[in-house]
Amino acid sequence: MSELDADKYRDPVVEAYKSGIDRTLIRENLRRSVEERLNDLMALQRFAEELQKAGTLEQRERR
Amino acid sequence: MTDFPALLKALSEANVDFVIVGGAAATVHGSSRLTQDLDVVYSRSPANISRLVSALAPFRPYLRGAPPGLPFSWDERTIHNGLNFTLITTLGAIDLLGEITGGWQFENLKSQSIRLDIFGIRCLCLSLEALIAAKRAAGRPRDLEAIAELELIRDQQNRQ
Repeated sequence: MSELDADKYRDPVVEAYKSGIDRTLIRENLRRSVEERLNDLMALQRFAEELQKAGTLEQRERR
Repeated sequence: MTDFPALLKALSEANVDFVIVGGAAATVHGSSRLTQDLDVVYSRSPANISRLVSALAPFRPYLRGAPPGLPFSWDERTIHNGLNFTLITTLGAIDLLGEITGGWQFENLKSQSIRLDIFGIRCLCLSLEALIAAKRAAGRPRDLEAIAELELIRDQQNRQ
């Protein structure tokens, strides 16, 4: 088990990424249940698919 | 869209031994990042492979991204002869992993997992600590931002 334990090492690249992460989203997500988080993920997938479809349609119309 | 509840239900109701890993596990722990598929590490025991094949057969698993018509048999022999499979099903995308980086298999990961009771079923999900460690071990550049978010989630949880 110890090999998969996250150690105390702080990767400087990972630390640099942290400054750009919205902590309010994390706090909001942690207030939700696991089911709500997975349902939100599926809603996000649906939204992304709709955006992709709209983008593809727009590109076709422009040609 | 991947129907996470339906996929989890199919696996769970067939008594498949598996652990949720990857982006879906990150979502379970509070990540807000978008993931398109369900990643699971499954037990490679012959009995479990048999249950896995039966569980997903109704949803017509096929190799994701493969050209249509490419011969692919969803059966025990295929699973036995392979290890990791990236599949598309009628319920969405699922990655079946016999092991993850470091040679970690279901039997090792089980003890590093949390038990979830969601959508009316019970299943295992890799713990936050183990997920961070697994992503570090994978060493993929695209995981660096995900690791950063997971570590912030851990920090936030420790403060609560």
